[in-house]
Order: sequence, then structure tokens, then C-alpha cells
Amino acid sequence: MGRPMGPITSIGREARRAAGERAFGYFRDAGFVHVEPAILQSTAPFLDMSGEDVRGRLFLTAGPEGEELCLRPDFTIPVCLLHLQSGAREARYAYLGPVFRARAGAEGELMQTGLESFGRRDIEAADAEILGLALEAADAAGAGPLKVRIGDARVFDGVISALGLPEYWRRRVRRGVARGLPLEKVLDRGGLTPFSKAGVLAALERADHDGAKALVQDLLSIAGISTVGGRSPSEIADRFLEQAASRGDSGLGAEQMHALERFLSISGHPDAAARALRALAKEAGLAIDKALCSFEERTGFLAARGLAVDEFSYGAGFVRDLDYYTGFVFEAVSTDPAALKPILGGGRYDGLAHKLGAAQETPAVGAAIWLDRLKAEALS
Amino acid sequence: MTLVIAVPSKGRLQENTYEYFARAGLEIVQGRGVRDYRGSVAGLEGVEVAFLSASEIVGQLAAGAAHIGVTGEDLVREHVADVDAKLIMLTPLGFGRANVVVAAPQSWIDVRNMADLEDVCAHYRARRGARMRVATKYVNLTRRFFDEHAVTDYRIVESLGATEGAPAAGSAELIVDITTTGATLTANALKIIEDGVILRSEANLVAAKRADWSDGARDAARAILSRLAASEKARRSREVRAIWPEGNAQAVAETATKFGATAEFSGSGAQAFLCPRPLAAELANYLLAQGARRVVVQSVEQVFETDNPLYNALASKMFATD
Repeated sequence: MGRPMGPITSIGREARRAAGERAFGYFRDAGFVHVEPAILQSTAPFLDMSGEDVRGRLFLTAGPEGEELCLRPDFTIPVCLLHLQSGAREARYAYLGPVFRARAGAEGELMQTGLESFGRRDIEAADAEILGLALEAADAAGAGPLKVRIGDARVFDGVISALGLPEYWRRRVRRGVARGLPLEKVLDRGGLTPFSKAGVLAALERADHDGAKALVQDLLSIAGISTVGGRSPSEIADRFLEQAASRGDSGLGAEQMHALERFLSISGHPDAAARALRALAKEAGLAIDKALCSFEERTGFLAARGLAVDEFSYGAGFVRDLDYYTGFVFEAVSTDPAALKPILGGGRYDGLAHKLGAAQETPAVGAAIWLDRLKAEALS
Repeated sequence: MTLVIAVPSKGRLQENTYEYFARAGLEIVQGRGVRDYRGSVAGLEGVEVAFLSASEIVGQLAAGAAHIGVTGEDLVREHVADVDAKLIMLTPLGFGRANVVVAAPQSWIDVRNMADLEDVCAHYRARRGARMRVATKYVNLTRRFFDEHAVTDYRIVESLGATEGAPAAGSAELIVDITTTGATLTANALKIIEDGVILRSEANLVAAKRADWSDGARDAARAILSRLAASEKARRSREVRAIWPEGNAQAVAETATKFGATAEFSGSGAQAFLCPRPLAAELANYLLAQGARRVVVQSVEQVFETDNPLYNALASKMFATD
């Protein structure tokens, strides 16, 4: 069934293309290789990486053998797949072309240009280069003055881990914060079936893994329940053990909660933010030194490139709701008060290649410019 | 312009739909051969019946290719992005009842509600690096419902038949499927998540906003909807007739109010009421207590009223100036 879609107009399309060519030319002059992924892509990588959430925004179709296909919703995943196919270790790519996003009442075809850098080990310098090039190219395209916002998923994840939250809690908190939910709401697990309700399973409180597993298996067989599906009694037992230990909540004490709240409130000038982060780490005893050194080093590279770092604004809670973003994130919005959506955005996604099937994590950072969001006067 | 009514072409849904129309004195006549997918309503000009699968009916209505149709609410909610802009749900029909539910293996004794499921999905992904798989044909309903419950660590595996077997077959960890009694789920060692009922569905009479509502189509719709409303009103009512010499105007009016009934046909010591079906016996006993000598309760065929709720539902949303 067709999704509602706004009228496709060609007004401004050529002007956008011309602005895109200027930005794209800038990337090529900087030594980035033109890459052109197919418009028609397999749907699976997008759903695997971003979750079923994005399905509603995809233009879906099917191949002759029933395989699920979609029009590319972005360039990053297709370019990363091409890079992995090429077998190259280090590479720099630039692209220009349409991406497709289904949005009720709005045009589904959007022009993007951008760049991706794979394999560089000097990550702070690479981060600074990508943001610098993206801002310069946006300027060449006619974006006008921009406000830059930065964040750091490595610092964010580091703080959550240092507070002793397990991996799935780290992701839950990041997801909640990225969606703009208040912290109490993110941490509230009131809806969970209380451990005590599991009755006899309270006996697990002092059990070890094997004991717990045996008990779960016994219970299932007494009740005559057959196990189907991919989740084993052993996994069920482990979750009970974990709940017994933490009673199902995040396990955060008042002090840690306070530290987390304090962390999320840190924002502003990158250097001032770095000082606040260091002070917090010291007082709350958080071992996040490496992430902070990297943060400071990057700021240095950004300043050395001549970027107006003093006008950048850091937000501790500025993270993306995507697991594969592992470090620096940034976006730039027009200073025009009417502007809402960023003209460019990007970040470090070292986790993507591995999640797409590469043997190990591959350093990667990139940025995209939304040409449709350039103001009309920039295009004329 | 002909009025096109889309009805299910097979199964229980078809039988029930024919019956629903037949009760209103509308006999659906299939074309000559069994392979003829167009029919008519006996004795009604300007009406064409299209025999389609329940999901095709949704598509035809959404596109405005049919004016009125009978189909399940589950299919409407699944396949139509903006229901209010395209369709008018005229009335639920009381048949084709089924729930769209989230079901997980019974062996997940630690999972009772959606919050538990969210937690387990997050654990599963953290442990295995892969997302929990949900087999379903209700892709959109699932996506919306899981999003409301903040469940994000899952993947949908589209399933076009025997969805309940997916966990046992190893192609998914849990399912979203339609169920009437839950027996099929139980037979497959699955249980319904407590707050995991996504939709309580039944067959609905649905009108298409985007259809060509010419005067002819409108008149035909009015004729059909008034008959359907009349038989529906009749089905929900009983006529209660009493020999009641003492029943003066005041007593009659009081009685009618007391039982939500309407008073009708009185004269020479007899009085009739039209009352809601469940209250008929109670009304009869009440009348006896009030001095009636004999009370007859009988079912009625059709109740035509100036106020036609089905046509009004259509007209108020479609023809503002009607």
C-alpha cells in the first residue's frame, strides 16, 4: 500500500544540485574519492543497525526472489559496505546524490553530499579534519553562519560504565537520553514483574548459575512446559540471578544518581566543559581519563585547524540513538532563528564495520550535508 | 454512478457477512459462474457487489475504489496509514472477533508483561549481539505497539502463515499474531503477554472517504444503510405487548422511561413497547405487577426510524451540507 507522500517538485532541485557540486568538489579537492553506492539496497543492514524504528521511514520494495529491498535512506551504511568489500584498510570517500526517507506530507527524495574516512588511527586528528571539511564545504555551498554543537559518545559511555551500570543499561540510558526523556523516566523500571512475584524463584537468591539453571529446568518440567524458541533456560536463570542481585533496577545508589545528573547537566564551551568533566570524574571517582584526554586532544586539533572552537557548544547529553556511534558527534544549525534542523551532521562510528560483519572494529568518521535545508537565498 | 460494496469472498467472514445483509432483507447475488467476482443485491438498482479477500477490501476502500465494505479492524489498522483521512468505521458487526496479541514461549517464566519483554530484549541483544526476532504479518501494528512500550531491540521477521509455529521452528523468538481462543498459541507452547493485547478486532462496516460519492451512490448507500440499521435495531430490540386496561398515558410514559423503551400502538386496553432486548422479560414482569393481564414478547424484523445512525455516521463525516 502506498505511503502518503508530498508532491515531488523540481523547483530548486537544480540549484540544490549546484550547491551540492560546490561542496562535493571541495571534498574531492581534499583528496576524497568519489563513491557511488547503489540506490537500491538490501533492507537488512539498515534494520539491523537502526532497529525496526526506521522501517516506517524506508521506501520498501521486494526483489524477484522476495528479498526485502529499500531505497537508500542514507549513505553511511552503503559506503561502509562498499569499503568492506574493497578490502582496503584505509580510505577516504565523498558522495553526492539523493537519499530517500518516507515522511508524511513531505518530499521523500533528499539531496545529500558528504564524506567518510575509514582506517585512520589518529582518531582525534581525523575527527577534527572531518568536521572542518564539512563546515568549509557547507560554507562553499552557501550555508551561511552556523552554530556547531558537539558531543562525545565515548565520554558518555565511559561515565555510564564507570558508574557500574551493565552494558544493556548503558544502551538503555543512552537511548533514553538521545530521545530526550528525563532521567527518572529512563531509570524507572517500575513496570517489571517484581522478583518476589516469581515465588519459588526467590530461592535463587543464594544460588549459583548451575543451581539456578537446574531449578528453572525443573520448574519447566514440573509444569509440563516445553521450551521453544531461541532463549534457553540457562538465559532465563541468569536473568533471575541478575534480578536477585540488583532487584531489577539500575542498581544506582543516590550518590551515583547524583553524579549522573551532574554529568548530564554539563554543557557549553568545550574547554570549560572538559574542566567540569575532569572535576566530576575526580570527585565521583570515575575512571574516564582516556576518554577525556581524547576529548581535549580533539579540541586542540579543531582549534589548530582554525575552527571557532570558542563558539562551539558541548552537551553531555548530545548522543545519537545508534549503537555504532562510538565517539565524537556533531551537528551544525543555521544561526537563522527559523532554522530547526541541522544543515550538517556526523560523527565517529568505529562500531559500524564490525556490526556489518568485519572481523574487528574499524576507525571511521564521517559527515553529511543536507542540501535541502540550505536556505533559498543560498541557492540563488 | 454505481455504489460498490466490497464483501469477503470466502470463509466464515463471507458467511457472516451474507447473513448480516440477509437479516436486513438484502440478498447478495453472485454472478452466474462461481468464478464471477462481481455480483448485485437482489432488487436493488445501482448497487454492485465486489467479492474480494478481506485485505484487498481494505486496499480498495482506502483507494476509494469501493464505497462501503466489510473487513476486519486488524487489517484496517495494519494497512492504512491514516485511517481517519481515508475511512469511516461505521459500526462493528459482532462477528469475526479476534485479538492481535504479543505471544512469547511459555518457558519464559520471567516474562509476564511488556516491561519484562523490553528488559529481556535488551539483555538478549547485549548477550548475543543480535536482536530478538518477532514473527508477524502485522508489521505496522507491531512497530507502533513496541515503540509505545519502548521495546527497540527486536527485528521483525515477516510471516505469511502459521506464524505460531515460528518459535518452535527457530525462525523467531516471539510472535505477534491474531487469536480467538488462544488455543493455537497454547498448543504451540506460547503464552500471551499480559498487557500485550495490541487490538481487539472484529469485522466492521467501513465506508471510503475517497470514493466517488455521487448523488446516485449516496442514495443507494442511504437505502442500504437504512435497511441495515433497521435490522440491527430490530435485532437489539423486542416488542412487548400487553393487555393493560389500567395503562393510562402517564403510566405508559413512566414505564417507557424506566426501561429505555418506546411506547407504541395503543388502544382498547392494549399497549405495545419496543424495548432493549435484554430488558424484555423484566419489562413483561413489571407490566404484570402493574395490573396487565397478559404480556407477549416477540422479536421484530426491522425497525425503520427517521434517524438512521449508520447513514448519519457516513453523512456527518462526508457530506457536511447534506
